[in-house]
Amino acid sequence: MRRPLRQRVKPMRADVVVVGAGPAGLASAARLAEAGRQVLLMARGNGFTHWGAGAVDVLGRVGGEPVERPLEAIDRLPEGHPYHLVGQAAVRDGLEWFSRFAAGAGLAHAGDLERNRGQVTAFGTVRPTCLVPEPAAGPDGFLEGRVAVVNFAGFRDFSPALCADHLRRIGIDATPASAPLPAWDHDRYFTGVELARAIDDDGFRRRLAPGLARAAAGAEVAVVPAVLGLDRGHEPWADLQAQVGMPLVEAATAPPSIPGLRLFAAYRSRLEALGVRWQFGFPAVGVDRDGDRVTAVRSEGASRVLSTRCQELVLATGGVAGNGIEANRDGSLTEQVAGLPVAGFEGRLAFLGGRFLGDHPLGAAGVRVDAELRPVDASGEPLLANARCVGGLLAGHDPTGEGSREGVALATASRVAALLAFTPAR
Amino acid sequence: MTHLLETDVVVVGGGVTGVAVLRDLALRGVHAVLVERFDLGTGTSGRWHGLLHSGARYAVRDQESARECIEENTTLRRIAPHTIEDVGGLFVLLPGDDEAYAGKFVEGCRASGIPTEELSAAAAHRREPLLAPDVRLAFAVPDGGIDSWSLLRSMAADAEARGCRVLVRHPLVGVERDGDRITAVRVHDAVAGQDRTIGCQWVVNAAGAWAGEVGRMAGVPLKMIAGKGVMVVMASRYVRGVVNACRKPADGDIIVPQHEVAILGTTSEQVASADDISTPPADVDRMIDMCAQMVPAIATGRVLRAFAGSRPLYVAEPPAGGDGGGGSGGDTREVSRTFTVVDHPHLDGLDNMYSIVGGKLTTCRQMAEAVVDRLAERMGVTEPCRTATEVLPGADHGTHRLAEPLARVEREQAYGELICECELVTRAQVRESVAGGLTELEDLRRKLRLGYGPCQAAFCAWRAAGMLAEGDGEADPVAGLERFLEERWRGQRSTIWGDQARQALLNHAIYRGIFDLHGEGVPDEAAAPTAGETDAS
Repeated sequence: MRRPLRQRVKPMRADVVVVGAGPAGLASAARLAEAGRQVLLMARGNGFTHWGAGAVDVLGRVGGEPVERPLEAIDRLPEGHPYHLVGQAAVRDGLEWFSRFAAGAGLAHAGDLERNRGQVTAFGTVRPTCLVPEPAAGPDGFLEGRVAVVNFAGFRDFSPALCADHLRRIGIDATPASAPLPAWDHDRYFTGVELARAIDDDGFRRRLAPGLARAAAGAEVAVVPAVLGLDRGHEPWADLQAQVGMPLVEAATAPPSIPGLRLFAAYRSRLEALGVRWQFGFPAVGVDRDGDRVTAVRSEGASRVLSTRCQELVLATGGVAGNGIEANRDGSLTEQVAGLPVAGFEGRLAFLGGRFLGDHPLGAAGVRVDAELRPVDASGEPLLANARCVGGLLAGHDPTGEGSREGVALATASRVAALLAFTPAR
Repeated sequence: MTHLLETDVVVVGGGVTGVAVLRDLALRGVHAVLVERFDLGTGTSGRWHGLLHSGARYAVRDQESARECIEENTTLRRIAPHTIEDVGGLFVLLPGDDEAYAGKFVEGCRASGIPTEELSAAAAHRREPLLAPDVRLAFAVPDGGIDSWSLLRSMAADAEARGCRVLVRHPLVGVERDGDRITAVRVHDAVAGQDRTIGCQWVVNAAGAWAGEVGRMAGVPLKMIAGKGVMVVMASRYVRGVVNACRKPADGDIIVPQHEVAILGTTSEQVASADDISTPPADVDRMIDMCAQMVPAIATGRVLRAFAGSRPLYVAEPPAGGDGGGGSGGDTREVSRTFTVVDHPHLDGLDNMYSIVGGKLTTCRQMAEAVVDRLAERMGVTEPCRTATEVLPGADHGTHRLAEPLARVEREQAYGELICECELVTRAQVRESVAGGLTELEDLRRKLRLGYGPCQAAFCAWRAAGMLAEGDGEADPVAGLERFLEERWRGQRSTIWGDQARQALLNHAIYRGIFDLHGEGVPDEAAAPTAGETDAS
C-alpha cells in the first residue's frame, strides 16, 4: 500500500540498520526486533539461504577431517575464530533460537549440536551438517536399507543415475528411477521453483503420488530432489509422504535451494510481523561518521544516494563470496560499506589454492573484530563504537571450507542481539 | 615383432598442420596414420586467439607471411566457411601512434595483396562503438575469426572418410631406424597402457613447437624456438570484429571476438620449453591495460581466464650447427611467421622423413600442401593437391554466425532444455555426443563449448555429469566431474579478482559446500599441462 507523500519524504531513520539478507542478517534482524529494537534491513539482494544446501552447518570439518561432535571440535579451531569470540553459549543459543523459530514457521529441523548428521545430496554424497529440515532428515538409519532415488520426469537439475551411482559406490543399496509428472502447464520447460510451487497444490500431489509410489516400489525410502513444495512449509512433503506410503527424503540440489527459499520466506514473514522495515535491491554503499560513531548508512536509490540515520549498525554483508568484500586485482581487499580494514594478500595468486576442491585463503578473508563484534584496527582497538560485524564478513573462519556458515551466522546473531538488546535507543 | 599397423605415411602431431597433412595425403589417395600424444588441438592449435589472419599484421615487416595469409584466408573461406566467423578487422591509430607507420602499413598491405579501406574516426566508431573516443583513424581489413576445433574435426573426418587413421592419446615414444631409413615409429597406447609400433615408408613431423623432440627421437637435429604468447579471455565480446593496434606488433595489441567472449593478445616471449604455458599476473595485467587503450571498457570488464600457447618458431641453421641451447627471455616477434619444409634427406641423410615447421593456423593448408608435394614427388604419387578446392564436410551452411546457437534454441523451442546456459548447449546436443561415444566432460567441452561461459561450469558440469551417468559406461561420473573441475581450475588463478573471485567462491560453495566433493581421487597433476586447457576457438 502506498504511503502518503508527506511521510515518504521524511528523512529516513532507524534505530538499528542491518545490512545484508543472508543467514546472519536475517537472524540478526529478527532477534534485534524481538529484543525491542526498531530495525531496518537493507540488502543488495538474496543471500546464502538461496545458495546453500538448505541445512544448518555448524562445523563440518576441522583440518580437512570430518567432525562428529561440533561443540567439542570448536576447541580445535584456531584462535580468533568467531566461535571463540562469541563462546559456546552463543552457539547453543543461536541454534536453539533457530530451531524454535523454524518450527514455529512450519519448517521444523532435525538434529542437535551434540552430533553432526549426514545430508544426502543430488550427487549421492552425504555431507556433514548439524540441523536439517525434516524433509531432508529421513528415518534413523535409512541409508542402511533399500533406497530408491527418484526424479520427476523432465526435471533437468537432478540425475537419479548420478545420485544412485555414487550412493552405491559408498555402499548404499540405491536404485535410480523416474516418476511421471501429471499433466500441467509447464510440461516442456520448468524449473525446480515451478515444480515446487506445483507440488504445493493438493490436486497436483494427488495425481503425482501414485506414479511416485510405483517408481519407488520395493524400496524402503525414496530420495527425491528438494522440490516438495515452496510456500506451505513442510506440509506438502508430509502429505505426499503419507500418500506414497513411504518416507521421502529431499536431497540437496544445486542453487537455488528450495529449502532455502522456504526459510527465506519464513524469515520475511517473521520480520514483517515484527515490524522490521525492508529495503531490498538498494545496497548500502557507505556510512557517515561522527568521530568513532556511525551516524547514517548511505545506500543506492533509484536516482540518488539515500541516507538512513541510525543508532547502531550491524554489517552482515558476507565475505568475498557474499559481496561484503571486494577482491582487487593487486591482491588487496576492500570492505564494501564502511571501508573497514581487511588483511589482503601479497598478490592475487595467493587468493586461491592450487586445487579447486581444496581450501581457498580468500574464503576465510574478513574483518577482525573484538569480543563485542566491533571492527578493530591492527592493534586490536575498536574502530567504530556502534558498528558490529556478523556472519561471513568476520575474519578467522572459512564458511565453505569448514562448513560453518549457518552456525557462525546464528551464533553471532545471538551475540549481537544480546549486546544490543539493552542499549537504550536515543 | 609385428606392427599394430602398417601404413605408407605416419604423420606426427594432431594440431591443424598434422591434420591438414593427413587430409592432403588422403585426397591424393595415400594411406596415412596420424599419431597425437593427447587429443586433437591440445597444443598450439587450441591455444591461440582464433584470428583468421588477413596478413595485415605482417604487412610491414614480413610480407612473405602476409601474402601466405591473405591467400589462405581466401581459400579457407571457400573450403571451410563453417569454421569461420566473418567479422572483419580494424587497425586503429591511437594518439601516441606513429602516422608514418600507418603509411607503411597501407603500402605493405597493398604490396601483399591485402585489401584495406581507410575509415574516419567517426566511421570507425559507427562500426565499433566501444572504441576509445580518441581513435584517430582506422583501416578495415579482411580479418576474421576461425574455430580451430571445428576446422580440425572437419579435416580429420574428411581424412578418415577417405581411409586414413587418427590415433589420439598415442604419444610417439621412439623411432626405429634401419640405416638411413625409418622403418617404424613406436607409440604408447595410453588407454591400453602399452607400447606399439606402426610400420611405415615415410614420416612427416608436424609436431609444431614440439617438432624438435620428434627430430631428436629420429636422430636428426631440428632446433625450434618456443615463443610463448599469453592471452586473456574476457566474459563478453566488446567488439564486433577484430581490433588491432596500427603500430609495430607489441604486447596487447589485438582483440579477437570469439563466440561469446573476446580474447586479448598477446605476449611474445622466448621460453625454454614449449610446455611452459604459465600466465603470470603481470602479463595478464599488461594485456588488459594495453587493450583497454583501444577499448576502454575492457579495463573494468570481467575476465574469465588467461592461457598461453607456444608458437612453433623455426630458424633455419646450417646443418652442422643444429644443437644450440634454447635460450629464453627474448622477444620472438622478429622471427618470421612463414613456414619451412625441413628436408632431412638432404640435410641430415635421413632418407624418409620431412618436417614442416613454423607457420601459423591460417596457413596450415598451404603448409600441408608444401610438405606433401615434396613427399609425393619422392613417392611417385602424381595426384595433384586438391585441398584448396575440395570443400570440407560441414561447409554447406555458409560462415558461422554468432546468433546461430540462439537461433537453433529458438527453432527447437529448447529453452528449458539448456544444459549450459552460458553457451546455449542443449540436452539433445549432449545426448547425441554421449551416444556418439564421448565419455569425458573434457570432450564435451571441446566439442560443444560446454563450461566456457562466465559461470565457468557452475551449473552445466553437474548436469552433463548426470547425463553421462545415464549412459552405460563403467566410469565413476562423480570422479570424472572432480577431474574436470580440477582441470578447469588450472590457469584460472591469475585472472581471479572482482566478480570472478565471487564466482570462484560461489562455485566452490556449490561443489565443495553443497555437494561435498573433495577431489581426493584427482592427482595433483590432473592432466598434462597441454591436455585440455584450451580456451581459444
